[in-house]
Amino acid sequence: MIESREQPNTIDELKSRAHWYRLLAGVFAEEPQAPFLRELRSQACIESLAEVGVSFGEDFLATDEEMLLDDLAAEYTMLFVAPGGFPPVESVRLQGGYRQSASSEVRDAYTAEGFSVQSGRFAIFDDHLAAQMQFVAALLERQAEALAAAEEQEARRLEKTVKRFWIKHLGRWCRGYAQLVEEAAEHSFYREMARLLDAFVTAELDIMGLDVADEDGGKLRAPKPKAVTEPMQCGGAAT
Amino acid sequence: MLEMTRRTFMKASAGTTAAALAAPSMLHAMENELGGRDYNPDTLKERKAIPTNCHVCNIQDGAMAFVEDGRVVKLEGNPNHVSTRGRLCAKGNAGMWYSYDPDRIMYPLKRVGKRGEGKWKRISWDEALSEVTARIDDVLKNGDPNEIMLKYGRNRTGGVLHRFMDTLGSATVLNHTSVCESSKKVGMEPTWGPDIETPDFANSKYILNFGSNILEAAYFHNPYSQRITEGRVDSNAKIVTFDVRLSNTAGFSDEWIPVYPGTDGAVALAIGHVILREDLQDSGFITDWTNVTVEELKEHYRQFTPQWAEELSGVPADTIERIAREFALAKPATTYTYRGPAKHLYGAYNEKACMMLSIMTGNVEKRGGYCLPRGMGYGQPQPEPPKPKHGSILKNPPEFPLASHHVSHLVPFWIAEGRQKISVYINYMDNPVYTNPGSETVWGELFRNEELIPFRVVLTPFMGEEAQTADIILPELPYLERWEPESMPNSLWPWLGIRQPVIEPLGEGKEHRVYLQEIIHRLDPDGSRGMKQYWNFKDSEDYMRQQFENVPGLKEVGGLDWLKKHGVWPVYGKLNPATGKISDKTGREIRAEYGLHMKELSAADMLGASVDEKGIIHKNGKAIGVQRHGKNYVGFPSGSRLINVRVDEWAEYGFNPMPTFKRIPWHENLKDDEMILTTYKYNVHVQSRTASVKWLAEIVHRNWAPINTETAKRIGVKTGDLIRVESPVGHLVTKAYVTEGQHPNVIAISTGCGHWGYGRLAQLKLKEKGGQYGAQEDPDMNNVWWEDKGVHPNNIIPAVADPIGGSAGWYDTVVKVTKAKAGDKYGDTEASWDKHFEWYKKTMSFTYVGDAHRKMHPEMASWAGPDSVEPKEPSGH
Repeated sequence: MIESREQPNTIDELKSRAHWYRLLAGVFAEEPQAPFLRELRSQACIESLAEVGVSFGEDFLATDEEMLLDDLAAEYTMLFVAPGGFPPVESVRLQGGYRQSASSEVRDAYTAEGFSVQSGRFAIFDDHLAAQMQFVAALLERQAEALAAAEEQEARRLEKTVKRFWIKHLGRWCRGYAQLVEEAAEHSFYREMARLLDAFVTAELDIMGLDVADEDGGKLRAPKPKAVTEPMQCGGAAT
Repeated sequence: MLEMTRRTFMKASAGTTAAALAAPSMLHAMENELGGRDYNPDTLKERKAIPTNCHVCNIQDGAMAFVEDGRVVKLEGNPNHVSTRGRLCAKGNAGMWYSYDPDRIMYPLKRVGKRGEGKWKRISWDEALSEVTARIDDVLKNGDPNEIMLKYGRNRTGGVLHRFMDTLGSATVLNHTSVCESSKKVGMEPTWGPDIETPDFANSKYILNFGSNILEAAYFHNPYSQRITEGRVDSNAKIVTFDVRLSNTAGFSDEWIPVYPGTDGAVALAIGHVILREDLQDSGFITDWTNVTVEELKEHYRQFTPQWAEELSGVPADTIERIAREFALAKPATTYTYRGPAKHLYGAYNEKACMMLSIMTGNVEKRGGYCLPRGMGYGQPQPEPPKPKHGSILKNPPEFPLASHHVSHLVPFWIAEGRQKISVYINYMDNPVYTNPGSETVWGELFRNEELIPFRVVLTPFMGEEAQTADIILPELPYLERWEPESMPNSLWPWLGIRQPVIEPLGEGKEHRVYLQEIIHRLDPDGSRGMKQYWNFKDSEDYMRQQFENVPGLKEVGGLDWLKKHGVWPVYGKLNPATGKISDKTGREIRAEYGLHMKELSAADMLGASVDEKGIIHKNGKAIGVQRHGKNYVGFPSGSRLINVRVDEWAEYGFNPMPTFKRIPWHENLKDDEMILTTYKYNVHVQSRTASVKWLAEIVHRNWAPINTETAKRIGVKTGDLIRVESPVGHLVTKAYVTEGQHPNVIAISTGCGHWGYGRLAQLKLKEKGGQYGAQEDPDMNNVWWEDKGVHPNNIIPAVADPIGGSAGWYDTVVKVTKAKAGDKYGDTEASWDKHFEWYKKTMSFTYVGDAHRKMHPEMASWAGPDSVEPKEPSGH
């Protein structure tokens, strides 16, 4: 039984929450492309993000677009794609490998609501952070639609589905993970987006009245990962 | 009404026990089934079982993948597989962790920054293939196709890589065999045809094992472990193992005889000497089936006395005498070798000397003896591209005319010398920076040099020491996601098998066949360059279907469809739970066929054939058989159809054509503090790609160097102490493991550990920064209790090459072992390209054109010298 401490949702609140999920999903889904980046760097967006405490550095604000796209692509790869990085994938974070049971559990959850994961610019796993965030966004939007149509039973069902998904999946890993990214990122864009993710997720849990333990090792506060190649050390104990 | 109380219940049961036992039972304990089925322990739902071929190492065991929700949850042996009979080793059981490895590469990566800096950008397949294609196209239009080089490690693509390179017209295709077993192959091929033997351990009475760790690592570890155990237990076979260290196989043997490194051949020759001296040979077999007479053989072997061998090998002459008599009188008996004898400067001679014992005692192709390998072939999609017009000097260096499996480990020096220009280097599942002598100092240096190697594309699912210096990485698939044809001569029953995808590929990984086809289609979109025609298949399954569609017997039962269902063909019988062996329909163990050389030629075969004075049957300019005692036999696939004890081709190049032994010159007159460095494998690790596999890394993750108790005393170290190992090209610092199970003059460092560029587990990255990094990376890392990743030896091993077989003399390095010096840290290693280069020059002096060749072969004084022979390309593959 899920106990709810939160205030009743309004349609606007639900849509607003869904909006943040979609924004953050887009940030972590793949390397930003030019149109997305332009919107992110628009005056309005920068100001709105600043209001919630996001503070990008010059590397994001003052870099030529083409170079920034390249920089962010490399940073994204090193953080989330290349060996030695930490992919935003629940199975990896909580079960130590790709496509473990979390992957099929979230797929089942998507299927039950009529969704499936498609490739973006690159293929992603079902339990990728972006897919999980987009799933919640879609359910919140449906919840808003249900409220607008006075389908209260459906709205309640969707609300419970979202909470259940948070308890079983997102709530168990994305706060700790956000802290890891914040610590590890070299570019202010990912550092700030990770801070935003952390703050947003904490707020969401509060809004939903959920108390879920985060099991992700990232909460231990990470050092910055080094590049894969280091000066040769042919063996020996790690120090 | 019938009434039972607890008391009557107990009382009555005593009297009804026998009846209860005799009552018919329909319930069958599932654990009595020897594999093939599996159930989820929570839901009790049966898991989907998909047969495939294991490929963690290259033994090619039949495997069964159990899949749940599209995920491999367990791997087992395929009970239908005649060779491995439902068993997988520890490595095979852990194979799924390749697919799910958090360090896996699943998207094309392009380097950003300097080569080797370790910074990458993910790019699309389209971008990656466009760049690779453009580079290749530039060479094809403006250069020589041979500037495109492909070097492969574990290539089980069934011909795809060669098709690709042939399509491009490049002959620069290098393998990894010279760091594997090439001198074993070259020792055997000119003698009897095939490059390997199939010992019938299970039915043998006496097994002479030279330098092979059958129970842990040899070719073919799993099937041969089973057979040698049956031989020991069921046939009461005696096993004698010559090895420099007490491996688990040596420990399992009746006798472990420590032998000085590189002298197995001398011991084998002396055993042969005793057999021939005491007339214990099989004269009939020698006369009928070899190209020498018994008298010639006796005369030749007279020089190899046990006393001579004792001085070289340290094996007492009395022991040699006794073993010789035992081996010759036990019937059936077999020898077996793996890399121990072969990985030396004159490894081919050693191999030849060892196999001679099975030959002279007539144990060849006998039940319980030394048999020819049984293999099965499959076809290739048609049409096939023609072979390249021009040879590659890197592939077939003229100084090594007999090295039919190439001398790939010397390639960096040849490229550095400018012997062949390389513009595009394609690297398939090959990590020479780790696996080759010289490792980082030689291959790492080559790969970092953008002038010598302007463009490197690496085809791999994992980052490794070699992939770190790629310009582009294309994400190949791990084996559980690939299609590949298989056949291995690892049992006396030939078989064909497949690797099939048991799960969907993860991420955007693709298999070789698919992206190589895309490259060709981009190079030749309309077919006008004549390339596209060779890549005419719909997908990988279609390619495989074409490979199996015309195999007689398999075709009739369904070709690829049969293999998809059963994993292997033929299915010879059923795995018997009582014996663990394959039984036929009558319940008896299936029997192998022996005497392959004595298959009689048909009348049709003999039509138009002629028989010469030696009984060799010729037809259309080729020897097709041997006439003996009025019958026409097929003989051996050796060219002459006989076993060539005397290999005339060797004599052309000033090598001794008869069985012989050459002591490694730098092993003579060692100082008291000098030893020989050898390497070995653990039973849970392959050469370079298991140290980061979960489960396996936990079992073995460090490789402290075994040294003998007396040696340790002399040096003044005990187990766990730091030691410095200095070779002529560098030094390393590791820890000693003091044991009686080691030759006193040998230090052994396993090659399975000590990575610096592969996987978080192998490098123990997790332990950096006080344990935090790993905890954040992967929850399984919280379970890592060890802090020692081992020390890799290859950096300080010079690239010696057998002038005959081309094999790396991996077990030949003289080292000085001392207590670590002040400031030495565990894992330190240092070596010099220049010193490696000096040793490369030194090894070249032993080739037939080198200065040392004549000195090493005084018995070949009548040889007219290198100018007397025309250089030619070696045969073989």
